[in-house]
Amino acid sequence: MNSDHLSLSPVTCHLSPVPYLQLRMNSDSTNSSNDFQQDSNSQLPGGKSISKQADVEENIAKTANIEADSTDDADSNSIIPNADLNSVLLYLQANPLSRNTEYNSDSSDVNNNELGLLEEKINHKTQVQLKTEEGRLLLILPTESQVPGSEISWSEIWQQTKQRLNGSDRLRIPNTIVHLVAQDRLLDSRQLQQLEETLNEVQLQLKSVATSRRQTAIAACTLGYSVEQIQLQISFTTDLQATPKALADALYLEMTVRSGGEIRHPGTVIILGDINPGGIVVADGDILVWGRLRGVAHAGATGNRECIIMALQMEPTQLRIADAVARAPEKSLRQFSPEVAHIISQGIRISKAADFSRNQLSKINQSL
Amino acid sequence: MTRIIVTTSGKGGVGKTTVSANLGMALAKLGRQVALVDADFGLRNLDLLLGLENRIVYTAVEVLARECRLDQALVKDKRQPNLVLLPAAQNRSKDAVTPDQMKLLVNALAQKYQYILIDSPAGIEMGFKNAIAPAKEALIVTTPEISAVRDADRVVGLLEAQGVNKIHLIINRIRPAMVQANDMMSVQDVQELLAIPLIGVIPDDERVIVSTNRGEPLVLSDTPSIAALAFENIARRLEGQTVEFLELDSPNDNIFSRLRKLLWTKIV
Repeated sequence: MNSDHLSLSPVTCHLSPVPYLQLRMNSDSTNSSNDFQQDSNSQLPGGKSISKQADVEENIAKTANIEADSTDDADSNSIIPNADLNSVLLYLQANPLSRNTEYNSDSSDVNNNELGLLEEKINHKTQVQLKTEEGRLLLILPTESQVPGSEISWSEIWQQTKQRLNGSDRLRIPNTIVHLVAQDRLLDSRQLQQLEETLNEVQLQLKSVATSRRQTAIAACTLGYSVEQIQLQISFTTDLQATPKALADALYLEMTVRSGGEIRHPGTVIILGDINPGGIVVADGDILVWGRLRGVAHAGATGNRECIIMALQMEPTQLRIADAVARAPEKSLRQFSPEVAHIISQGIRISKAADFSRNQLSKINQSL
Repeated sequence: MTRIIVTTSGKGGVGKTTVSANLGMALAKLGRQVALVDADFGLRNLDLLLGLENRIVYTAVEVLARECRLDQALVKDKRQPNLVLLPAAQNRSKDAVTPDQMKLLVNALAQKYQYILIDSPAGIEMGFKNAIAPAKEALIVTTPEISAVRDADRVVGLLEAQGVNKIHLIINRIRPAMVQANDMMSVQDVQELLAIPLIGVIPDDERVIVSTNRGEPLVLSDTPSIAALAFENIARRLEGQTVEFLELDSPNDNIFSRLRKLLWTKIV
């Protein structure tokens, strides 16, 4: 566990191919060209695909594989340390190549070895899921290994459940039956009742509980739910080694993701509403925002660089696709049109939705 | 020896975050290595005041969850290289961290930075406890209002119980004209109630609002303001210098009192 605490010297930036500027292709250059920062033009390589305006002047590289992040220490070396925010968009390939990274353990960087003492993990990668499987509506709670059981995490799970339930209200048929998949989570009757009330509020009916915990089963029985005992899957080999999983179904949400709101989904996320500053959406697939994107959006969170972010009005705090991060321009545009953010060899590029075509994207990718 | 200072108040909206941001900047301008720690989990604002919101990739919670190293979470300020910000998570509650974890974070920072300013949330619950746990000193921010002073008094008691004995008072948003008209508590009134040493008085200034909205701390502004000067003076006093308190009654004075003062200084 120690390797990730070694401080990397800033030299590791040499891993990044070339520093790049991020571009916004914008045909109505007249009204916006002054708004963009062009302080780093000299660094542009050749400039063949570089258009008039370079708006986002910098970047921080970040590991692609969030899942692997916490467990695979060697991989976390691919993170650029002390990401220099004055530099132009740094772009780092999160490939095993980073294992050759030079590191310098006695650099004066803050040493957080001490933090290793704390084994308490705050894992918030897994959220409550609501999905339909074989015609059954399932409410799946994270397992205790994903979110350790405590009073606090319960209130968080409950909050999340409420938020999720309100997210796609309109499309739901009243009195649909819900099956709770509690996994190995310990639930007492009070918590089960809380869940039921919440479900009732949105006209859903809790019918059955699937659990691997005896106490939960007993609590569910006493409350009159049908109980399904499931086997707890103990996997000694971590999921990381497993074959790549297919993406989950798209998550359709009708809501505003407000400050502090967080949507994580192992697939594509479609949001009919806004993402406010301070809100974050992390998807393993694409992110489509039918509204204003003003918070943080992270598409392709597990490392898929083909993922895109679309928004009717693109004014993000930050955009992340796979391992690339882009900051919004300092000055905002005055006019908005639907835009698409995608990754090209130089980093994240934002194009007008009208100009964006898959064709163009694949051409760029081939030239990589 | 790193100085670990918490900015707290009890009451909300008295200017804790503004003081933290400006004081951090002022200390960094004096050449100190400063780390600002936002302890307001779930309602973080310090990044906004510093204009660093869009540079945040990792937060303190990720550091504690060991998803990144501490130095990765630190956001450098492009205008002032001596200053870094450790942002709080926005999507977590105050219970996401424990006082022990805060201590670990701050102690790790203490190895590199000369000043660590912790911006405490309002209230005296978990977030407050987290914020004061690692602190060695405290700055109490209050406005000259009875409610703010009462809350500050309570907080002083809590800090003393926690073993933080080096406590200084900052009186924020004072309006000299109102004090003169006896419509507002004076500095002396507040000091009398709280009985802790005063380290600064900051006048009410509209430019504070402008700077907050722009994400540019006042002390970085090109146009000098009394509020910015007050922050710089506090920073110098923290450094151990003796700095005279500002004369705060100039702008709102009428022409006669100004003239009188001018004459008075001439005569003396």
